[in-house]
Amino acid sequence: MKPAPFEYVTAETTEAAVAALERFEGNARCLAGGQSLVPLLNMRLLRPAAVIDLNRLSGLDHVTVDDGRVRVGALVRYSTLETSALVAERIPLLARAVPFVGDRQIRNRGTLGGALCHADPAGEMALAAVTLGASLRAVGPDGVREVPADDFFQGPYTTALAPAEVLTEVAFLDGRGAVAAVAEHARRHGDFAIVAIAAAGLPGPGDSWRWVRIGLGGVAPRPLYAARASALLAGTRLEPKAVRAAAEACLADADPASDIRASAEYRRHLIPVFVERVLAELRERRRGGTR
Amino acid sequence: MSSRHRIRVTVNGRAYERDVQGRRLLVDFLRHDLGLYGTHVGCEQGVCGACTVLLDGQVVKSCLMLAPQADGRTLTTVEGLAGRGELHPVQEAFREAHGLQCGYCTPGFLLSAVALADRGVVLEGKSLRAELAGNLCRCTGYQNIVEAVERYLRQTVGSRRG
Repeated sequence: MKPAPFEYVTAETTEAAVAALERFEGNARCLAGGQSLVPLLNMRLLRPAAVIDLNRLSGLDHVTVDDGRVRVGALVRYSTLETSALVAERIPLLARAVPFVGDRQIRNRGTLGGALCHADPAGEMALAAVTLGASLRAVGPDGVREVPADDFFQGPYTTALAPAEVLTEVAFLDGRGAVAAVAEHARRHGDFAIVAIAAAGLPGPGDSWRWVRIGLGGVAPRPLYAARASALLAGTRLEPKAVRAAAEACLADADPASDIRASAEYRRHLIPVFVERVLAELRERRRGGTR
Repeated sequence: MSSRHRIRVTVNGRAYERDVQGRRLLVDFLRHDLGLYGTHVGCEQGVCGACTVLLDGQVVKSCLMLAPQADGRTLTTVEGLAGRGELHPVQEAFREAHGLQCGYCTPGFLLSAVALADRGVVLEGKSLRAELAGNLCRCTGYQNIVEAVERYLRQTVGSRRG
């Protein structure tokens, strides 16, 4: 099908985008990469009065390091994340997560900010942001605010953004030296995950880990940071006992639903399997020096 | 109400200027406004890759872009490959390896292959299949398609390096 009629508006600045969103009083959608929005328009699952194209905005396609944080502009495309040496070095989890997204064409267009605002509960970008405790910058009529990733995702396709707010930047803690891994189960490569588990950790003395952070995707209405499991793993060597305890803690945090892709029971079965798998990969990457 | 926009694009080296509706999909713009029917419409939801074109040299799915988004940009469609009655090397490779059956997906595969060559990567087997995952062939003739692309990449990128 083709999209229902709408007004196409090009925003040259963030302020213009906010003003346009205000003008359409919640009945406009922002267009970034369009890889999720345009299918919804084509299928007429969405019929906004206006589509505000953000692609001509300048200054939102940066990847910079400052003050212990890596700042990624909302319009940075997947293919840029995939090839950025800075991302590979400082946000290795993001680099590991990107290849799971879509296909080459999708990754050439899709953006980090677009994926986060779309807020698919199985989305890899949202999972990485929550796992790493990223901070999201929103600009709206009342100015700028920073929203922790954990508060940003409120449910399936639902974020904390107000109707006239635009996501402009995502700040990650500088993960230099960290090792990261993503394990996910999907029916086809590039399809939405049935269960996706992300982990990042910083090697400590000996075989120990200074910290480990685990995130769970596809197991609740929104991506979850597994706080208890992460706390259990800090300072351990990821030995089998610690891994099992973490897997159980993850399972206790999860609240999977049954949907067209898998039953809740199947998802519960997969969670500990994939937590163990992702932690094994973390250890292997550290040993192999592939981060 | 759909808005109207005057857009200028360069397609296959030729400049065009047209009025389009804001909701006009790029693939429909190419086919119906410019008469370039080589870019095919498959799923219209970004899955099949039949509508793959090059946007400033990068593969994109033209069913997932609005025509006004292409204003000021440069596009290549399958019509831009062959020159002066001669097949483009990628088309030659597809012919030699029998890389097409019904041909519906072929324009998309050709452009994905050209973009790979332009990136200068020689891939084969599994890693090549991963790069081509955004193009579906419903005849399921993947074996020969992958062979054709392997052949093309070896010839083109290999000789550029050599």
